[in-house]
Amino acid sequence: MSRSKLRELGINLPLLPVTSVGSFPKPDALRKARADFGREKIGQEELREAEKTAVKWWIRKQEELGLDVLVDGEMYRGDMVAYFAEQLSGFERGGLVRSYGNRYYHKPIITGEVKWSNPITVVWWRYARGLTSKPIKGILTGPYTLMDWSFNEFYPTRRDTCLAMAAQIRHEAEALVGAGCKIIQIDEPAISARPQELAMAIEAMRIVTSGLRAYFITHICYGDFESIYPGMLDLAVDNFDLEMSNSRAEMLPLFRKSSFTKDISYGVVDVHSHVVEEPEVVEKRLRNGLEVLPCESVWVDPDCGLKTRTAEEAIAKLKAVISAAKVLRDEAE
Amino acid sequence: MELLTSNHSGYPRIGDSSDEQMLRRAVAQHDVDEGSDAEVRAAEDHLILLAIKEQRISGLDIVTDGLIRWNDPASHLAGKLQGVRINGLLRFFDTNFYFRQPVVRGKIERVGPLVVNEFVWAAKKSRQPVKPVVTGPCTLGHLSICEVGSVTKGDLIMAFAEALAAEVAELAAAGARLIQVDEPALLKYPADMTLAREALTLIASRKGEAELALATYFGDAAPVYAELQALPVDTLVLDFTYSSELPSVIQSEGSTKRLAFGVLDGRNTRPEDEDATARLVERMLAQAKSERNYLTTSCSLEYLPRDRAQAKLQRLTSLKKSLLGKAL
Repeated sequence: MSRSKLRELGINLPLLPVTSVGSFPKPDALRKARADFGREKIGQEELREAEKTAVKWWIRKQEELGLDVLVDGEMYRGDMVAYFAEQLSGFERGGLVRSYGNRYYHKPIITGEVKWSNPITVVWWRYARGLTSKPIKGILTGPYTLMDWSFNEFYPTRRDTCLAMAAQIRHEAEALVGAGCKIIQIDEPAISARPQELAMAIEAMRIVTSGLRAYFITHICYGDFESIYPGMLDLAVDNFDLEMSNSRAEMLPLFRKSSFTKDISYGVVDVHSHVVEEPEVVEKRLRNGLEVLPCESVWVDPDCGLKTRTAEEAIAKLKAVISAAKVLRDEAE
Repeated sequence: MELLTSNHSGYPRIGDSSDEQMLRRAVAQHDVDEGSDAEVRAAEDHLILLAIKEQRISGLDIVTDGLIRWNDPASHLAGKLQGVRINGLLRFFDTNFYFRQPVVRGKIERVGPLVVNEFVWAAKKSRQPVKPVVTGPCTLGHLSICEVGSVTKGDLIMAFAEALAAEVAELAAAGARLIQVDEPALLKYPADMTLAREALTLIASRKGEAELALATYFGDAAPVYAELQALPVDTLVLDFTYSSELPSVIQSEGSTKRLAFGVLDGRNTRPEDEDATARLVERMLAQAKSERNYLTTSCSLEYLPRDRAQAKLQRLTSLKKSLLGKAL
């Protein structure tokens, strides 16, 4: 249990703290600004102002809704891998490939040695922190996912690629800690893709987080958890952010067999459905989880980033999360 | 010996140009109730014609419709079956592509064509022979959740096999000469081989005069190569990117079936060394007994950007020329 670690870091959270995974839908004004920037109708400064306005709006909204640990909403990011690839040398922008359904992204291509030269996310983390007194998560894409979700034309092996990514993401984690960030989330949705590579992913995560004074979360989603549990608990993080709603809580029987030994951010709403869950549905999902997991170790959030929903849907889903957490928190206290 | 180039299965349904993004726009409009089914269908038609054209220009002997109408390999087929509804997203094997998971809630029944109409449409529009592709019963079985209490995984796979057998019969009747059954699950769950044999026997019994190809990918086929050779199919489509052993196994065991050599990586943009690839195929061909074999990519090309996908196809043609130059 890492609540003591949080306290040491000066962060006091209520039982069942509510957070979100990272991304929120971009407001229309920002969508237009991004499109205009792409068509060279506006410059970097104008786009940056639109991004800042959107971050500010989402910070205010999260405060208003009552989330406990906030995110900046990733208003300045497109895809989670491409964003980092654009900031690290050694990558080229690839063409569009499909992620699912009608969703596509520019999958980066590694064409040279990947190198970090300047902080990537720190300026945004600082900006968001300046807007609120609540804790703000720093959010990075993890080395395994950067490797697995990029084409590789440079490194000889997947392991070489993954460890090279880890060394560079370590620089960014250090920069966030140096700026005062105390909760850092390393997104690793790809980590269950090849269970035989879990040891490599663990080695890479250790490179990123080892010795850094921060509370680390890793977000893993939409994978074959059964194949990497309980081995995944060896990842050098304090908290696992998991999609428990979409996966229909299929991990709970695994947790019964082999205890979940870390904190968990328990996803209770499906982010890929337009349907906003009824409060009692969300409450039941969380209640099921708490039958297996100690309340002290559980954070509550949506399954994944909410960027694919409309702002109204995202807010309604966050409200459902908060409502469920509040009911169960009141019961526990 | 005849050596034909064939697209594996899928092809990108998007590209960088506005024209190549027509389908994305149409679906986005449809999703917000501002576009019609007919507009989506027209955009799909357009992208299929583009895909066929790019395959033809690349010099392929056998093309596909690019599986352009498919949202994913599971829901596109299972979603049309009675007794199945479609659920949330799940990762498709070890890719960063996600499929909607079928949930079986009742008796599985094929109540209409799954891909036959798509095949017929594409075949009319193509100068090259079109290969229809279906996702196999083991893969559909493993990618699905079954909520019918008494149904075992084996029952589920055989139920999908029955539906697919009817589909294969209609594809053959509609003129398909080569039909591909995709079974990536077989390499992940090799213990299913006996079930696969039973399921494929049922499917093969309905194929008529068509050539039935089994495609395995996203895993190492070397340990199960002998078992794959024993399955009731005419052709094995093999992924060489996961296995350094597979070429040696083929060299030592040969093949009684036609082989499709998936030697170009459908998952990575890195261009393969043409000479080394040619030497590799040449060694395997020396042991293959069939009068006809194929060159293809390791898997669907949907995982690549459009320009790189087309480059892989062009490389297939170039590889074929190189091998023919060595007097196959």
